[in-house]
Amino acid sequence: MSHQLGRVVSAILQRYFGDIVQQVGSDLFTYGSKPIGMIVKTTGLARSLVIDSLRTLLKFDLATFEPSANELIADYKLIPDNVLLLIRYPRYLLQMKSKYGSEAELLVEELLQQATCSASVLLVTIATKYKDDKEKNITILKLKEMFISLVTAGYIQQAPVAELKEGSEVPTLVPVATIVPDIEIRPLIQAMSSGDTSELKDNIYWRVNYDRFHLDFRDEIMIKAITRRIDENAGELMRFLLEQMYLKSPAWAAESSPLCALELRERCRGLAAERPLLHQYVDQYLKVLEENGGGFVRRVGDSGGGQLCVRAGLAARELVLAALDHTVTERLGSKAARIFRLIRARKYIEEDDIQKNAMLVNKECKQLTYKLLEEHFISVQPMRKAASSGGLAKAVYLYHIKLHDVSQAAQELCYRSLHNVLRRARSTRTAHARLRDKLRRVRTIVHGMRLRGEPQRNIDDVEETLTPPELAVLQDVEKQLKQLSTAELELDRNLFLFKWYFMYPEK
Amino acid sequence: MSVKTDEQLKEKILNVAKKNPKGISHKDITAAIPEISSADLVTAINELLQQEYFDLFNQNGVLIYRIKAQTSKQAVKGADNEEKVVFNLIEEAGNKGIWIRDIRVRSNLANTQLTKVLKNLESKKLIKAVKCVNASKKKVYMLYNLEPDRSISGGAWYQDQDFESEFVDILNVQCYRFLSQRSEKMKNNPRGPIVGRTQTYATAAEVQKYITDLGISKVQLDVEDVITILNTLVYDGKAESSVYPDGSKVYRAIEPLIPAPGLVQVPCGVCPLIYKCASTGLITPQDCNYMKEWLD
Repeated sequence: MSHQLGRVVSAILQRYFGDIVQQVGSDLFTYGSKPIGMIVKTTGLARSLVIDSLRTLLKFDLATFEPSANELIADYKLIPDNVLLLIRYPRYLLQMKSKYGSEAELLVEELLQQATCSASVLLVTIATKYKDDKEKNITILKLKEMFISLVTAGYIQQAPVAELKEGSEVPTLVPVATIVPDIEIRPLIQAMSSGDTSELKDNIYWRVNYDRFHLDFRDEIMIKAITRRIDENAGELMRFLLEQMYLKSPAWAAESSPLCALELRERCRGLAAERPLLHQYVDQYLKVLEENGGGFVRRVGDSGGGQLCVRAGLAARELVLAALDHTVTERLGSKAARIFRLIRARKYIEEDDIQKNAMLVNKECKQLTYKLLEEHFISVQPMRKAASSGGLAKAVYLYHIKLHDVSQAAQELCYRSLHNVLRRARSTRTAHARLRDKLRRVRTIVHGMRLRGEPQRNIDDVEETLTPPELAVLQDVEKQLKQLSTAELELDRNLFLFKWYFMYPEK
Repeated sequence: MSVKTDEQLKEKILNVAKKNPKGISHKDITAAIPEISSADLVTAINELLQQEYFDLFNQNGVLIYRIKAQTSKQAVKGADNEEKVVFNLIEEAGNKGIWIRDIRVRSNLANTQLTKVLKNLESKKLIKAVKCVNASKKKVYMLYNLEPDRSISGGAWYQDQDFESEFVDILNVQCYRFLSQRSEKMKNNPRGPIVGRTQTYATAAEVQKYITDLGISKVQLDVEDVITILNTLVYDGKAESSVYPDGSKVYRAIEPLIPAPGLVQVPCGVCPLIYKCASTGLITPQDCNYMKEWLD
């Protein structure tokens, strides 16, 4: 809960929900939890506006509430981590599209927009929307099947239900175990043809399960890292290991329970045609994965043809270290990165030893070490000797790395960057708001004219109201905004890595 | 006894001594030269000792004569006693050298006198002063013809007490090139990953041979030197090291686990002003020049 996080959260709320929600959100962020009355007082907004904003925040699970001391009114609290997820939405959609196809993408997109929705309303809305789209060929039957398979896979879960406890006016949200639904298709088709969804009697509400997506992202990072380090076959083997891990241990466990190599061999035999090398050399690949795979996998025993466990916690640590290495390299140069890694390899090291091992000129080495210290990448631990009789008691200064603290600092840096990118995008948008507005209007008019079948000459006339220089500027702005949004996604990926690392307690 | 036979006798003793550089005892001499009488031997040895051909040691109660290095014998010719003492101290220190303060303490000479003696010896090219790489102010003396020890000269990486960073950089790049040429063999090796991995490993000796064959180094590099360079590659994150069963260290080139993360892809991640950047004020993201350059 840092100042930088507050700035990012505020910028994101502004982007997606506008100024009023931003004001309420920032207020909640600054003060922790507070009731409506207090929010009205500090923000100076009308009570109805505050209530509306809170409604929005609660709907999208960006805030929670709990009964305050007197049990009659509720205290509201912002969930900054969930606000950050708003910029991850495109990644969720991409994941769905690549894994399950366009129907799944549509379902998740609609559900993300609605926040919570009943299955039947969701299906009918999407089917109605794409009724005329012949290309995609969306039918309600296909959507229903996809919905069920997404629920089964855990990407969609049941929303928590509000329950009133005795003696309290404030309801509490109770999570519900997800049961795979049985949706009847006939009433849905009826509702679609009549265009009236109010008759659907469906009171089970659904929402997207972010955690399931995050597991996918985690697996992807680990597999990609192994593929980079060894090769595709080893990456595939890592995938099998992770799949097995889901069956036997909690999904986010720092270290999985032992997995049997025999089952892996079975899996690889099934793939003999596709990956002959993997099938032929399974045991060798396991050995290489264990020895050169950055410590992602560890052998724990030899029974049953070898017992392996996946060390997700260690993997997160290694990956964060790799990210930090990159950051140091880019910020202070590769020589500094060498010192950074050297200190890490030695745990605690004296200044003289750094110079000897890093093979750098004394002066440069000192300068870089102090620069690293200044930017909080390394820490120093003085070891004072007891006062000796003759001369000065010399202290020994040992350099070392507090990984948790360094990662925090780097995460802050990410927040700063993300805020800056959002802010820049916003100012670019406002600076060219008039032009972008004009473009939009011209496009609507032209679209309307085309539909009415007006002559090409008239259409050209309208289109020419946008002068070539204006078009050039617009093109430029579009390019800039695209670059900024790519940067947002990349920063979010980086933040994901840090969040994953912080999930495991500091050793 | 004539002078001639005297000289011959001395020659014979010296020959015996030369064959046994560790020193000879009375017995050895009589065994090697049985015709000698003990009186002759005593005079001959006394003369030799006076001419400083021998050092005299007492080993387990037996007197041992050891022949002195030829150079030192000649070097001190025509020198006075102080010079001899100082010279001997410096000689003892070998290629590690000796600090002027230690000479003073051990020779019991006054400072001014010692400086004079040292200057004399230096001008005769008998000794030389070498600057120490660890402490630039500290000078050590050693015999003129000796190559300074690694700890004094810093080894191959120092030229006149200056660290040659360019040289190290070039070697670093070359070593990496050598390793990365091999690293491709790991991927999808048809003979299995373990064979593939073994092919990517290179021992320090192999790298040293490659570097020597390239001919980029004017000084001869040992395997130890190459290992220090390879270790810098490990610290650069470009290589990892492992140990073969026979105990020799092997290296192979590796890639970082992840590509450049988002943080360094945006200008803010590398911006030197990031900690001064705020929503308002002189440095803001809205009109940041680095951002502008990046977006254009």
